[in-house]
Parts: sequence; C-alpha cells; structure tokens
Amino acid sequence: MREVRLSHVSPVSGIFRVQASSRGVATLIAASGLDSEIRLAELLAVPGGVEPAGLEIGDVVKLNAGQSRAVVRYRASDRHQTLFVTNQCNSRCLMCSQPPTPQEDGWLFNEATDIVNLVMHPPVVVGISGGEPTLHPARLRALLDLLHSAWPDTKVEVLTNGRRLAEEAVTATLLQGLAPGRTNWLVPLYAGNDELHDFVVQSPGAFDETLAGLLNLQEFGQAVQLRTVMVRPVITELAQWASFVGRNLPFVQAVALMATEPVGFALANKEMTVIDVPEYGNELKAAVDELLGYGLRPVLMNMPLCKLPETLRPLAAVSISDWKNDYAAECHGCELRPGCAGFFVWDNTKIYRTGLRPVLKVEREGSHV
Amino acid sequence: MQSGYYSPRARAVEVRRIDETTSACLSPIGEVAFLSNEDLKRFRAEPAALSPETVRDLKSRHMLKSAGDTPGADRLFASRLAAKRSTASAGPELHIIVPTLQCAHSCQYCQVSRALDAKGYSLTHAQVLAACDQIMRSGAKVLTVEFQGGDPLNRFDLVELAIEALAHHPERKGRPIRFVVASTLHQLTEDMCRYFAQYDVKLSTSVDGPNWLHNRNRPVPTRDSYERTVSGIKLAKALLGAESVSALMTTTRLSLQHPEAIVDEYVALGLNEIFLRPLSHYGFAKRNLQMLGYTTEQFVEFYRSALKRVFWWNERGIPVREVYASIILNKLVSSFDAGYVDLQSPNASGKAVLVYNYDGYIYPSDEARMLAESGDKSFRMGRIDAPMEELMASPAAERIRKSGGVESDADCSACSFKHYCAPSPVDAAAGGAGVVATRDTEHCRRTTALFDQMLHLLAMARASNPSLNSLLQRWAAPAGAGA
Repeated sequence: MREVRLSHVSPVSGIFRVQASSRGVATLIAASGLDSEIRLAELLAVPGGVEPAGLEIGDVVKLNAGQSRAVVRYRASDRHQTLFVTNQCNSRCLMCSQPPTPQEDGWLFNEATDIVNLVMHPPVVVGISGGEPTLHPARLRALLDLLHSAWPDTKVEVLTNGRRLAEEAVTATLLQGLAPGRTNWLVPLYAGNDELHDFVVQSPGAFDETLAGLLNLQEFGQAVQLRTVMVRPVITELAQWASFVGRNLPFVQAVALMATEPVGFALANKEMTVIDVPEYGNELKAAVDELLGYGLRPVLMNMPLCKLPETLRPLAAVSISDWKNDYAAECHGCELRPGCAGFFVWDNTKIYRTGLRPVLKVEREGSHV
Repeated sequence: MQSGYYSPRARAVEVRRIDETTSACLSPIGEVAFLSNEDLKRFRAEPAALSPETVRDLKSRHMLKSAGDTPGADRLFASRLAAKRSTASAGPELHIIVPTLQCAHSCQYCQVSRALDAKGYSLTHAQVLAACDQIMRSGAKVLTVEFQGGDPLNRFDLVELAIEALAHHPERKGRPIRFVVASTLHQLTEDMCRYFAQYDVKLSTSVDGPNWLHNRNRPVPTRDSYERTVSGIKLAKALLGAESVSALMTTTRLSLQHPEAIVDEYVALGLNEIFLRPLSHYGFAKRNLQMLGYTTEQFVEFYRSALKRVFWWNERGIPVREVYASIILNKLVSSFDAGYVDLQSPNASGKAVLVYNYDGYIYPSDEARMLAESGDKSFRMGRIDAPMEELMASPAAERIRKSGGVESDADCSACSFKHYCAPSPVDAAAGGAGVVATRDTEHCRRTTALFDQMLHLLAMARASNPSLNSLLQRWAAPAGAGA
C-alpha cells in the first residue's frame, strides 16, 4: 500500500481524512466527527520545507501512534480502490500473493467502515479483499449494506473463494435481501475437477464448496466474475477448465484469466507459479476461443500487451492497482502503453520484464513512408 | 476429510459403440466422452484403474464423481439435468396456427395444401381469436407462434388478426412472443414487410436448391417458383434485415445427386442456415412415395455429402449452419435443450407444442394434423375453443402420455439415445398400428443414423480437428444463445 513519510511521529492511531493542507500542515478529520478536527490539526503539524508529506486533500490515511508514516488507504484519483478486510483465509493457494495469518483481525473491518464514512468522492468501483472476507459473514454483510447505502452509485466487488457460501447459514446472512446487480462476486475456480482445483488451493473439498457457493450466488441473482491464475498445473488443463465453465457455469458475467502476481507464496513456488505469458499463448488462445464459443466474456489480467497474441489484446484489462503498478524502461514511447497492464512495481523476478517488444509510434509511421 | 475422498465412482451413462475400438459415453446432462474398449471396461468395473488424466476428464464431464460427499457437484449435476429437461415443463411454448390450406403450388410431396380458390380450408375470424385466447392460457414464459399452411400469406388478414390479438392480449403479461411465418414468400409485399417489422416477425421459407431443382420440386403454373421465392427473400432482407429470413429444403429423389449444388445455392443466396430435411412420409407425400421416395441409407449418404460441403464453406470463412446437425448436437453436447419438439423424451406432442388447424381443431403436432388429412382424425385433442384441461385430458393426449415414453417400448428403453428421443404415437399410427416395430420406422432409422454420424464427427474433431470441434460446439448451443 501507498505510504507517506511524515516529519514527526504521529501522536494518535486511527483512520483520518486529509481535510486541508497548507504550508506543510495537514488538517485531518477523524471518522467520529468534527470535534476531532481541531485537536488533530494542532497535533499533526509538519514543519515547513518538507512536502506536505505527499498527501492529497481528500486522502483517507491510517496513522499509528509513535510512527512517522501515514498509509494512504483511499485516494480519490486512484484507478483501483480496495478495502482490505481480513488477512485470515481458509485456503492456502500455491500462488497466494497475500499469505494469510491466523490472528483475529476484526479491526480491519472497523477500519474499512471508517474509510467508507470518511470518503468524500465515492469511486466508480470498490473491491473488498483479503484474506477471505466471507470468514466474517455478519461483518461483511454490514459493510456491504453500508457501501450500498453510502455509495449508491458505486459497483462493489468482493474477492472470495466462495467456499463458505456453500453453507446455508452464511448464505442467509450474506445474501438474503442483498439487492441483485449491486455486488459483483469475484470467485476463483482453477480446474474442471476437484483433484486439480483442491491441489492448487491446497484444501481438500474446496472445489465442491466453491461450486455450491457459485450456485447459491446464482440463486440469489448475484453477479459473478470467475477467475483463474496462470500457474503451471492450471495451464496444463486450461482447455478442460474453459469447457467446464462454459457448460456448467453459463450464468457468470465474465471470466478472468490472470498472470500470477510474483509475490508471497508465489515466490516460494516460483517454478510452478510464475510463468511468462508467451509460454502459454496457445493454451490461452484456445481457452479464450472456447469461452467465447459459449457466449462468455473472457478478460485477460496482468498480462503485458506486447506478450499477448494480437487477437487477444482487445480482451486485456489495465488490471494492476496504481500503487503497485509500473512500466519498464522499454515501454517508454510504446503506443500500446495506455491500454497495457504493465508490471507489478516490486516484481524483481524479471520473468515478466524480459523479452518485451514495445510498439513504437516512430516505427509504425516509418513503415507508411 | 477421509482418505479416498477423490476415489472415482461412476454416474449413470448410456454407451454407444462407434467403431471396433471406441465407444461413446453419453450423459443425459449433455456430455459425451469417448473411451477405448479397455477404458470402458475400467470405467464400468474399476474407475480407479483409469489413468489420472482420464479420471479428471470424466470428472469434469460429471461421468465420474469423487467417493466422498460432494453436495456441490451433486447439486450442479441435478441443475444441469433440470435445465436439459426444461422443455415442455411450463406448458406449450410452440403454437402453430394453420390459418389456411390455400397455396398456389402443387408440389408432388406436399402433404396438405389446396388450390387458391378452394373453399372451406381457412379458419374463421372467431376461430383465430379463440386460438389466440388458447395460446395465452399456456404457462410458458416465452412463446413462439408459427403460422403455417398452405401459405399463410394467402390469408394475410388472418395472420394480422392473430398477431394483433396476441400482441395486445390481456393475458400476455409482458411475455415475449416470437412470431414466425412459414411461406413461399411469393405473395410477400412491401406493406406486409413494414407490418412484420413492427412485431419483429421472422420469415421461414423453402429453397430446395438451384432454380432448376427447386422449380421441378415446386411447380406453379408460371414455372417461376424459385425466382419468386428469391425475390421474396431479397425483399425481406432489404426491409427486415438479413437475419429476418431463413430457409429449409426438402430432399427428393432428384436432390440426392446434388448435395454440393444445393448447399452452394444457400451460400449464393447469402443464407447462413440450411436445414437438410428428408421427405415427410405423411399425408399426400405418402401416396407419391413410390415416385419421390428413397431409402434412409440414401438420405444419410446425401446428408453426409451435403454436410461435408457445409463444413467446406465454413473452413473458407462462410458461416453456414446446418440445422439438423445443430439439433442432434444440441441433444448430445449442450447444457441447454433447444426445445426442438420432434426430439424429446418423453414425446412432447401436445405438451410442448399445439397446432391450431384450419379445420377448427387442435392437434398435438404438425404430423398429427397431416395424418388427419389422410383420414385418421383420432389425434384431434378438441375444438379450438375447448378448455385447456379438456384438451389435456383428451383421449389423444392420453394416448401420447401412455405410449410416448421410452418405457412403453422395449427397443426404446434399451436405446442409447433414449434421453433425447422417444416413441411417437402419431408415427406409429401413420405406419399402420402394430405392423412396424419402432426400430424399423423411418424416423428411428434416420434419427439413429444421424446421432451416430454426429458422434463420429465429434470423436474425429476432438482427436484431430480443433476448429471443427469448436464449430460443432457452437452449433450445439440453442439458436440465439452463445456467440
């Protein structure tokens, strides 16, 4: 997440909105109301000469008492907005980018609530991510209800493995009375059979639970985007997966095929999980054709355009969150760049960043002469 | 999680041998897998002895499941079974109105049509309105209303009356209605097109092949049937859009030698669908069978050559879809039933389809009204204005219920295709009661041959022709769904 250095340590902890900023002094307001504003403005004086700490008016930040940094939890100008609600998870995916922790972290939901209450300009889309958000069904439902009432025009996406949605009680808490069409559930499914899927998520029985979860989402009229990640075992049976999705889950709104984020568990299983796009170009093309044949809409994520076969480029999304996104030196002047996902900024595997073939405007123009 | 959770167990499938070394496993949810003789033995006796890849493939097709509790997969399986059997569950979806038998043609193979000046072969206004009331009593959420004849455009006034009555009916309750007019299009005018445009009416016509063949099959006094149908197609395309008109062909003995020319004719006319249909053995056609007829084997041979030509065009980027193949493939490898009423199990006559005939009676299928023309009126369900309950309780409906299921016929119960096809009591009556065993009927021999043909194609395409495989998969999707 985006961090901003402060010149002084913060005397308080909590979630605040940057209300104003002048001459190196940021005025902050807390979620609890106006009373806190004055107090915080006095306490958080940043001396002149220093940048107003790189904060922007309207930013929602997290402060920790005794630390001289602010974590930007919401910035209106960002392309992707995420509410991170738990680090606990019931799966252990081979390529997890956010390895889970077992500790109770219910405060994350409280923070998310504070953030929503402080934001002045609601985003077009917000993602709820973890960990596994459905491990806390009541808290998640409260957050969804808050979002739908506070940000009525915002599309809400929940990134979930869907396993707990197999349970009747969880489904009742989460989905009963939840207006259809407002929430988009992003659910990974890695194979057309339990053996391979359960291996990828390292959890026996997970495939069956996710299937039941998907059927419950369908029953409650919820929108679903199915996802898969291009790790080696998935690529091997990608054709079978595509046809399983087309034949069994025709109700999903979109199907995302994603290159692995090279971080977390993925680095520990690098050989199996971090694979450059051209290596699976044929499998990708076949799967996309299959999905299109069933009338489904494939979306390609985290894949640099120059590494994709030309026919697949229109399906690629600019998918990497702003704060973790950058481009390589070669990308300078590439005319595909505005529509290109680029790279994860902290990716030091070099796997994705080698073999780039930028499309230079100059070359193109030259060829017309 | 107990050990052995993933240990494979077989779900019920039908098996059809396709050659000495390979069998097709057919799941009623719309899945096909091809197994070698050895693998088939393992599948039946000890699935765990199959290779891990085969096990995963068969699991993905719901032919194997894990031994542990799999409520999610079981529910998915059940929902697919229900989706596949949804046709005819909510009440009749297809309603065929025969406003008149009048037709300018005197086709040798035609079952029923009468001359233009013939009296007493049309519905009255009151009967048309009663038919519309009846249609609106169906519980189906989507309705298809098809006008047949004769040539319904000879009584455009009745077609218009029915469309107006249905479109503005108080019992419509927002339900979509798909209107189709089956016609030679000879009488089609610009005014009619402008009217059809308001209700998105689709036109279905007949083109038997190049002009010389079409005109031989479909004589009119002016000998220009082909030319007039083609101008009708062009008029409809210009005023209603390219997708507004489709055509189907009837195979006569003369057609058998010209499969390529027939397909090429469709391509030349810019039609993206062709329905290669055999002669109907009903009504008038039966009397001329001596002269026009051919064996099932001859038809299948013709069909194969024509289909090959259709593929040839597709390989060259001309997207022609053969409707008969699509219907069979839909049964075999699609999750959703396209609702083709002639291939349902149990038989869907009178349940998924009702025919409102010019004679004022309701029949359970197109064949039943044609059978009536040759004298056997036993399939009349009742008068057009009879209450729905009375129609459904009629002896005709009862007879179809009783003998239209596979369990009523030993051959059908043993057939690998029993989930897609069932005995036709109307067919049986047309063949002379008790004389012909179901498996010896033309319908059974042709249908079985076409299912086998499609299984062969699928096996070949999966093994060695991915682009054909994806074409077949696209054809299998119910029309209008998918890309």
